[in-house]
Amino acid sequence: MKALVLAHPASQAGDAIGFAQQLGEDVEITIVATGGVKDFPYRGVTRIISVGDAGPTPGQLSQLLLKHASGVDAIVAPSLKDATDAIARASALLGIPMFTEVNKLDRSSEGQVTVSRPVVAGRAFVTYRTSLPAAFTVAKKAFPPQGPGGNASVVEEQLPSARERRVGVEEKQFSGVNIEEAEVVVGVGRGFKRKEDLTLAEELARLLNGAVGCSRPITADLGWLPEDAWIGISGKRIRPKLYMPIGISGAPQHMSAAMDAKLIIAINKDKGAPVFQYADYGFVIDLYKLLPVFIEKLRERKKA
Amino acid sequence: MNIAVLAKASVDPNMVRADSEGNLLVDSMPLALSEYDKNAIEEALRIRDAKGGKVVILSALTWGPLAKRQREAEQVMREALAMGADEAHLIVDEALVPGSPLHTAQALKALVDKLGGFDLVLTGEGSMDTVSYQVASRLAVLLDYSAATFARKIEVNDNGLVRVVRDLETRYETHELPLPAVVSVTGEINKPRLPTLLQIRRAMAKPLKKYTLQDLGVRLEGHRPGVEELKLLRVARKQVIIEESDPAKAAEKLIEILENEGILKL
Repeated sequence: MKALVLAHPASQAGDAIGFAQQLGEDVEITIVATGGVKDFPYRGVTRIISVGDAGPTPGQLSQLLLKHASGVDAIVAPSLKDATDAIARASALLGIPMFTEVNKLDRSSEGQVTVSRPVVAGRAFVTYRTSLPAAFTVAKKAFPPQGPGGNASVVEEQLPSARERRVGVEEKQFSGVNIEEAEVVVGVGRGFKRKEDLTLAEELARLLNGAVGCSRPITADLGWLPEDAWIGISGKRIRPKLYMPIGISGAPQHMSAAMDAKLIIAINKDKGAPVFQYADYGFVIDLYKLLPVFIEKLRERKKA
Repeated sequence: MNIAVLAKASVDPNMVRADSEGNLLVDSMPLALSEYDKNAIEEALRIRDAKGGKVVILSALTWGPLAKRQREAEQVMREALAMGADEAHLIVDEALVPGSPLHTAQALKALVDKLGGFDLVLTGEGSMDTVSYQVASRLAVLLDYSAATFARKIEVNDNGLVRVVRDLETRYETHELPLPAVVSVTGEINKPRLPTLLQIRRAMAKPLKKYTLQDLGVRLEGHRPGVEELKLLRVARKQVIIEESDPAKAAEKLIEILENEGILKL
């Protein structure tokens, strides 16, 4: 069996390689890697096609994939936006099905595989049975790659030209706080009326030795917090001991990303907010009334 | 400019229903206009109002049973028309149910060809039910149009070029594309308008055409995967509601809970 892995960016390709390895016995893996990376010491990697450029466009990537897709049973990539775009374009040209954000794989016989992926805003999962060839993007940490490996031949290639041109880049600023590993997370939503009011959540998080996260609009729309605070199916998944969504209505795309929390305590002044269905305890009260008093009591408690 | 918007009648994630084993009862879950497709429609309307032209809604029904879903899909089309689109075209065919992006894109390509092509095709970054993030990219290559995904901003210039700011994980990238182009948009690109009652009524008179795959002269190609399971990810939560209006009492209750649950030391 032959797999083609798109390692873009190369640092995020581990799970794609791991998935490819699990597709069969002795899968031969060819890697298309960007950013000049040539080192993939994993079992089964026989060929590395290295592209010096760190930032090819999806159009360019899809053409590179097409060039090396002949005889390939599976095309695999990390579930990042550019890789997803590139793989989707290649899949259309190859006439093959594609499965996005796969987090489970079962091999069956006769060239068929069974994969599962999240759907319906992360509230459900679907399991597909598919023939090969097919394309897949894989969820982070779902398929750790196995070593050791070596002796892959390395070829350097130029990027093909494409219609679309990148004319500007602006790097995003991040806080560096890793909410994915935090034991306590305080979530802020649109119930907070001004950016300055976030200090209430920050103080609470500090008293509980936790981190502050948020729903999509707080970061993507309002820019009140950097995007690494975003809890959502398109943001970060958290699995703390305690998650406190405050002033968050409870959209499924947000709550699914917090479903692994051991305990969820919500605060929202709207009794009908969906968040209460996803919580262990829900306080129907205005956050502006509760938080100052709660914070004060926590402070007193700490002193005592 | 002739602008097409791919709008999907999606199963509503806020209206999930499952049986006692957690199997989704999809047939009883209502269809609604997919969230980010509303942003795509809004963007198309803004471009039309600035540049002139037409906004045409294209849709492929991918949920059954067809008899019931057809009516729901038509309602979704009327909602799009009520926002201000000029006409809607809906593909209804057993062969597209349940949906597979491989085939959905092939069907939509045939529809675009039948309608004579467009300058710009917009759609949401992904649908709110299956969230595959594939159809925009697939359709672009089938049509041989240029493409850009995850657009947070779109600027149509007068020189046949479109500038798109793409919202990626660690950065924003500005791409320049020649028309014709397919662009998928994020939820942050704009705030979709809410149709007025008058617009909703007017929408009933706007053209809505339906097609089978045979009408479009297309035969779907490639493997259709089978669905083995569609299940709820259930996490049992206590769902205890505390309606204490006195903040001091509520705070005390909250601390008590945190102590009992081992978050705060007793």
